[in-house]
Amino acid sequence: MAKFGIGQAITRREDQRLLTGAGTYVDDVALPNQTHAAFVRSPHARARIVSIDATNALQLPGVVAVLTGADLQADGIGSMPINPGLKNGAGKDMSAPPYFPLATDEARYVGQAVAVVIAETRDQAEDAAEQVIVEFEELPAITTIEAAAADGAVQLWADAPGNIAAQTQFGDAKACDAAFAGAAHVAKVAFMNQRLVPVSMEPRGTVAEFDTASGRYTMRTSCQNPAGLQKTLAEGILKVPAEKVRVVVGDVGGGFGMKTQLYPEDAVCAYAAKKVGRPVHWRASRSEEFLAGNHGRDQYDEAELALDKDGKILGLRVRIVGNIGAYGSGPGAVIVVAVGPKVITGVYHIPALDLRAKALLTNTNLVGAYRGAGRPEAIYLIERLMDQAAADLKMDPAELRRRNLIQPAAMPYKTLMGEKFDSGNFPHMLDRILELADWKGYEKRRGESKAKGKLRGRAISTFLEWTGVVHEEAVRMEVAADGKVRVYTAMQAMGQGIETSYVQIISETLDIDPDRVEIVQGDSDVAQGIGSMGSRSLYIGGSAMMTASKETIEKGRSLAGDALEASSSDIEYKDGKFTVAGTDVGIDLFDLAGRQPGKRISIDTLQKVDGPSWPNSCHVCEVEIDPETGVVEIVKYTTLDDVGRVINPLIVAGQVHGGIAQAVGQAMLENTRYDPESGQLLTGSLQDYAVPRADDLPDFAQYCDESTPCKINPLGAKGVGELGTVGGTPTVVNAIVDALRPMGIQNLEMPVTPERVWQALRTAKAA
Amino acid sequence: MAGKTTLTIGIEVNGEQVTHAVEPRTSLADFLRDTLGLTGTNLGCEHGVCGACTVEIDGAPARSCITLAVACDGASVRTTEGLADDPVAEELRAAFKAHHALQCGYCTSGMLVTARDIVMRLPEADEARVRVELAGNLCRCTGYMGVVNAIVAVLAARSPHPRQDP
Ligand code: FES
Ligand code: FES
Repeated sequence: MAKFGIGQAITRREDQRLLTGAGTYVDDVALPNQTHAAFVRSPHARARIVSIDATNALQLPGVVAVLTGADLQADGIGSMPINPGLKNGAGKDMSAPPYFPLATDEARYVGQAVAVVIAETRDQAEDAAEQVIVEFEELPAITTIEAAAADGAVQLWADAPGNIAAQTQFGDAKACDAAFAGAAHVAKVAFMNQRLVPVSMEPRGTVAEFDTASGRYTMRTSCQNPAGLQKTLAEGILKVPAEKVRVVVGDVGGGFGMKTQLYPEDAVCAYAAKKVGRPVHWRASRSEEFLAGNHGRDQYDEAELALDKDGKILGLRVRIVGNIGAYGSGPGAVIVVAVGPKVITGVYHIPALDLRAKALLTNTNLVGAYRGAGRPEAIYLIERLMDQAAADLKMDPAELRRRNLIQPAAMPYKTLMGEKFDSGNFPHMLDRILELADWKGYEKRRGESKAKGKLRGRAISTFLEWTGVVHEEAVRMEVAADGKVRVYTAMQAMGQGIETSYVQIISETLDIDPDRVEIVQGDSDVAQGIGSMGSRSLYIGGSAMMTASKETIEKGRSLAGDALEASSSDIEYKDGKFTVAGTDVGIDLFDLAGRQPGKRISIDTLQKVDGPSWPNSCHVCEVEIDPETGVVEIVKYTTLDDVGRVINPLIVAGQVHGGIAQAVGQAMLENTRYDPESGQLLTGSLQDYAVPRADDLPDFAQYCDESTPCKINPLGAKGVGELGTVGGTPTVVNAIVDALRPMGIQNLEMPVTPERVWQALRTAKAA
Repeated sequence: MAGKTTLTIGIEVNGEQVTHAVEPRTSLADFLRDTLGLTGTNLGCEHGVCGACTVEIDGAPARSCITLAVACDGASVRTTEGLADDPVAEELRAAFKAHHALQCGYCTSGMLVTARDIVMRLPEADEARVRVELAGNLCRCTGYMGVVNAIVAVLAARSPHPRQDP
C-alpha cells in the first residue's frame, strides 16, 4: 500500500477528468428552464442613485424581470456582513456603509451592481441591461490612500472619521523609541504594495434555484467554502434558517482566496430565483471580474529598523495603511490590521516593536483575500528592510539575516506580536539554501553577465508565514459495505490537489487500496466546516483525515472484538483486516461494516490543532538586466521550503511554483490602476493587466526540507499554498535593486517594469 | 440589437457533421458550449487574450471566444472532447499528469490544443521555444513549469534523434 501512501510523488486523481474536458465548472451547469442574469453597474466611483427606469428594458425580447436595490429592500434582504471585533479610528466598533447586494441610495465604486436583468438568454439579458436607465448624481470620490488620508478629505462614511474603517496598534512604542535611541544605525524603507487582481482563470459564476415546495434555495457556485457561503447567504442575506439554503460546488477553476466569500451577485441570483420562480444562471465576464471580483493588497507601508553596530536588530517600527475599498464587508480590514502584522517580525528575533495599522475606505472595489492576504505585504516590508539595512551596513544580506535569526533552541518562540512558533530551524535552512543556490559562486556568474553587457543582481529572503485561520475542522468518515471509504468534508478542491493528498493519507493509515477511498466535498448538505483558505486544507484537513482513519480503526477494533468473540485488546489491524492475535480468525474492514446497523461504520471527527502552522522558506533569486532597455530577466531561482512533513512532493512543488509565479507577477508585471480623477478602472481587462505568461518566467529549482515537522498537528505538516507568493515578491525586487544599487538606486516601485528600470537608470546617470 | 435573424451553418465538430441555426453574433465558444453541450472548452476572458477557449479549426489552434460560429460554416472544428482518441493528445495527457501540468484544470483544454500543435509543428523546439509558443495560453495556477516540462518530454520521446542529457 505504501506505493500510494504519504510522501509519494503520485499523479493526481483529479487529472483525468480535467484533461478530458469532463470537469464540471459552474458555468457548465445548465438547469432546465433556467434564466440568465446580467448586471447593470455603476459607471461612477461615487454617485447618488436618483432613479432607475426599466421601462424600455422590460419591453425587449426575452426579458423576464428587472430588479433593483429597492426590490431587495422591500423584501427584507440583508447586507453583506462586516467581521466583528475590529475598532475604528475613534476606538468604536468598526463601521462602514452597509453593502447591499444591489446598491440602494449610493453607488460607491465603479462597477458596483445597481440592478439586474433576468432574461431567457445571456445575450438578451445583456442587451436589456444596456437599456436600463439609471439617473446618477455624481458625488466627490476618493480612490487612493493618499487622498483618503489627506487633511480635509471628504469623509465617505459618517462613522469612519478620517476614512479609517479600522485600526490597530501592537508592541510597545516607548520601548521601541528607547531601542531606536540607542541604535548605531537606522535603516528605512517606504513604498506601495500595489493593488492586484487575483485573476482565477475561471471567472465567478452562480446558478441559483428555489424550490417552492420545500422553501429551499440551492446555489451552485465556484467557491472555496460551501458551508461558509451557506451561512452568509441564509442568515446574513436571505434571513432564513441555514437549512433553507444549500450550496453546491463542482470543479473550481482557481480560487486564490478570492473565492472565499459570498458576492453580491450570488445573493442577487438566489433572491431572483425565488422572485421569478425559475433558476437563474450568471457567469461573470472577465471585465466584471476586474471591476467587482475582490482585489488584493493595496497598502502604503513604512518601516524603520534599529540595529547595533554588529547588525543585531534592536527594534522595528512599522506603519501600515491599507486601502480596503468602498465597504467594510469581507476580510479586507482584518487582513490589513491583523493578519499581515502577525508575520511582520519574520524569522528574526526582534526585541522591540511599534506597529500601527489602518484600513481606509475609498471609492474602489473591495480588497479581500488574495493568496497570502496580508502576509506577502508584511514579508515584502521586512525583507526589503533587511536588504536596505545590509546595504547601509555594507554587509552580506545573508550574513545580516544569519545574525538575527531565531534559534531552534528558542522554540517554541513567542513573538512581540503574541504569535507562537512551534517549530522551525532557520539557521539550518539558511545554510542549506546558500549551498543549493551556490551563493558563493555568484561573483563568477556576475562576471559572466558583465561580459555580456548585463547587470546582475541577487537576493535572498528568509521568511515564514501564518496559516490556518480557524484551528479546527470537522469531517465524517464512513466505511461502507460496498467496499468504499467515503469522507465527507467542507474543505474544497480548487486545484491544490487535496483530493489526492487526502486519499494518500487515508489509504496509508487505513492500509487499504486507494481506489476504495472517495472524497465527497462541495455540498453544504453533506459536510459542515470552515473550508479551504489560508493554507489550512492539508495541515488541518489532512490531519482530520488521519485522525478519522485512526478512530475508524479503533472503533472497528471494538466492533471486531464483538464479531469475533474476542477481547478488543486482542484484535490486530493490518491490510484492511482485523484478526485475533496469534490466530487466523479475522474479518475484513468492509465485511465488518456490512454487519453493522445501516451497513456502515461511521466516525465523526472534530480535528483541533494547537494554533497556526508556520511554514518557512528561503528564496534566492538572480536577475540579469539589460541597461539599454531596462528589461529584467530572472535567470536563476531557488527555494528551500520547510512545509513540515510532505505528503506529495509533486503537489508541493506545484504549489510553490504557482505561488512564485504570482509573486513575480506582482514584482514585475501586475498593477491595478484607478484614474485618480474619475475613479475609472484603467486596467480592466487582460489586455491592460499583465498576468505572467510562460515566457515571463524561469524554471524554479524547488527543494523541501523535512527535518522539522510541525508539532501542533498529528500529520506534522505545515501549510504550503501561499508560501511561494509570500516570499517571492521581495526576493525578485531585492535582486533587481541589488543590481542597480551601484548606480545609487535604492528602491523601485512595483511592478518593476522595463520602463521603470530604464527611467531609474537614466535619472541615476544624469545625477 | 438582437434581431430574430439566424443563419444556418454546416460545421464538422469532432468528426460529426452538424447543421444548426445560429445568431450572427454567437461565438464559436458559446455555440460549442451552450448549443452542443461541449463544455470541455472553457472561457477565461472572452476577449481573445487568455487562450482557455483554444480549439482546432481546420487543424490549427484558434480562439473560439472571438471566432463567430457563422464564420465556421464549412469548417472542421476539434475540441478537447474530440482529442479523446488522438494518440498525440494521449501522450500529452500522460505527460501532463506526470509533470503536474495542471492544478485547477481550467486552462487545460486550451493548453492541450496548443501543446498538440507545438508537438506536431515544431518537433525540434527547445524549452525556450516552447515557452514562447505557449505564451498565448494563460495559466494562473502552475507557473507553467509543469506544462513546459510535459511538452518538452513529449517532444523528446517522439524525437527520432534522442537528445543527450546535458
Ligand atoms: S476565453 Fe478566449 S482567449 Fe480567453
Ligand atoms: S491549471 Fe488553473 S489556470 Fe492553469
